[in-house]
Amino acid sequence: MPDPADNIRATGTLVCVGLNYKTTPVEVRERLAFPEAVVPQAVKNIRELPGFGESVVLSTCNRVELYASHELPEAPQSHDALRDYLVRHFQLQPEHAEAMVLYQLDAAEAARHLFRVVSGLDSMVLGETEIFGQVKAAYKTALDHGTTGKTLNKLFQQAFTVGKRVRNDTMIQRGSTSVGSVAVDLAEKVHDLKECRVMLVGAGEMSRTCAQSLLSRGAKSIIVSNRSYDKAVELAEEMKGRAMKFDEWEHALHEVDVIISSTSAPHFVIKPEQIEQTMRKRRWDPLLIIDIAVPRDVDPAVNAIEGVYLYDIDALQAIADDGRRERERQLVLCERIIEEQLAKFGFVGA
Amino acid sequence: MPLTSILLLAATLAFAAAVVQALRALKSGRWKQGNVQLLPVAAGFALQTAFLYYRGQEVGQCPMKSLADILVFIGWSVVLLYFLVGSGFRLSLLGVFTAPLVTIMQSIALVQGFQPYAVKGKINALVELHAAVALIAYAAFALACITGVMYLVQERLLKLHRIGGLFYQLPPIQGLAKAIQRLVGLGLVLLSAALGISFALHTPVSNPKLVFSWIVWALYAVISFLMWRHVTSPRRTAWLAVVGFVLPFISLWIVTHA
Repeated sequence: MPDPADNIRATGTLVCVGLNYKTTPVEVRERLAFPEAVVPQAVKNIRELPGFGESVVLSTCNRVELYASHELPEAPQSHDALRDYLVRHFQLQPEHAEAMVLYQLDAAEAARHLFRVVSGLDSMVLGETEIFGQVKAAYKTALDHGTTGKTLNKLFQQAFTVGKRVRNDTMIQRGSTSVGSVAVDLAEKVHDLKECRVMLVGAGEMSRTCAQSLLSRGAKSIIVSNRSYDKAVELAEEMKGRAMKFDEWEHALHEVDVIISSTSAPHFVIKPEQIEQTMRKRRWDPLLIIDIAVPRDVDPAVNAIEGVYLYDIDALQAIADDGRRERERQLVLCERIIEEQLAKFGFVGA
Repeated sequence: MPLTSILLLAATLAFAAAVVQALRALKSGRWKQGNVQLLPVAAGFALQTAFLYYRGQEVGQCPMKSLADILVFIGWSVVLLYFLVGSGFRLSLLGVFTAPLVTIMQSIALVQGFQPYAVKGKINALVELHAAVALIAYAAFALACITGVMYLVQERLLKLHRIGGLFYQLPPIQGLAKAIQRLVGLGLVLLSAALGISFALHTPVSNPKLVFSWIVWALYAVISFLMWRHVTSPRRTAWLAVVGFVLPFISLWIVTHA
């Protein structure tokens, strides 16, 4: 019976050379990123290196990875060739080239790495899905420019199968792992996000992140109110929303479905009596209040009001922590799937 | 065992399987909406339909006279409405909540048993239509009750910050509140139609079946009014939809024994 790995090995040895957010700080990564328009030429250049037959370049904000197959007698030769290519391509000074920390993976290790990458296990946010699309796009570019062959085609197809299996058979993507995504999850379970109107009371960095998450997922509109009206206008313009003077936000409370509060006031800014009145005006339409201020902006008694759901920064953080822990628990399952697929790929007991 | 009993038993087992499958999936946190989840419910529905067909042949009319028959007919209507309404409102998990109710109703029906009807004279098509429409209305109220339970569960999870497995599967509370409102409205329209037909039947107004039907109609008219006018919070109206279903449920016993 033929060894399933024969196809791969017959056409070249797999190699992956790269760097990511774990090995390299952002100021170096940004210098080594391949702009989208440059990738087609890069994959051709790598394939044309002596001894190389195929290539794919994956370049995102968190990683730059070169996947290739070669027929060089020694693996370190392929590592050196790819490292030299990076140095030449980015015209690195000798001291920068020396300081560049790359991982150099061969055969099973390279395949395992790609499977982990495509499944989001190597991402900054464990289990994130964006990387799947980025790997697909990188592969398509290489495929369209004819720089993939039997080895990389099979490897990437297998990687996409792994990514799908990890997504479908495990809960690695379940739950939220950041305060912004928790806010989105909560808003989605209270309202239809497309109809959701958001108000920012105070324009802190965290509230901006939450609001951006909500808008990116389809929230309908945003009102920004801040003690400094100029800052409110600036943020409102950035988010294509409406600015409101700080002494006016109370009058608009009943018009919104989500309030994100982050003022620096030393006392409660949102009190039960205001919200009770608001809820009557809203005819009991549910209201989500996210209080990310420290000290808190919203009187906790507000959560007792019918139809009001109040989450402070500790509650949001606890949910995000639970999400992260849950994802970490899923890791074992994901790794098992990856090992199974590696075996199917021909790397038995790799 | 007669064919009808076999069909009903198989239908009940299919719904029980749907409950077990859903509970296991929810417990492990792996519940995902898909056609696989719908398979046992769809199989149960097909078996229910076959049961109603053969039972209708057996008794020579629409089987809605004994309590057991009524329970099966309502169960069938609930599943039918679930297929029509569940996808429309994107309330996929409604099936998980529907299956236990149908399992219980059909289990009661199986314990009660099915006797032949004493057919008195010619079958009146209007009477059959009146009864069928009224029972489908009751099914809409049953579905409103189930949706109410979903609302109360999701509302409680949100209030207590229990963001976990079930939370991610349940729809937004605002959508659930709208679904309750529409299901109560649908039931009310159907029951109004059934009562409208009753005027053509020359049935005495004091007939206990009609009296109870009017009481149920009045109850849901009030609930519907409270919902449409937003007199009270969605949580309270969800409670009304849940508790309110007790009345039509009890009335079934009285009506079938009247």
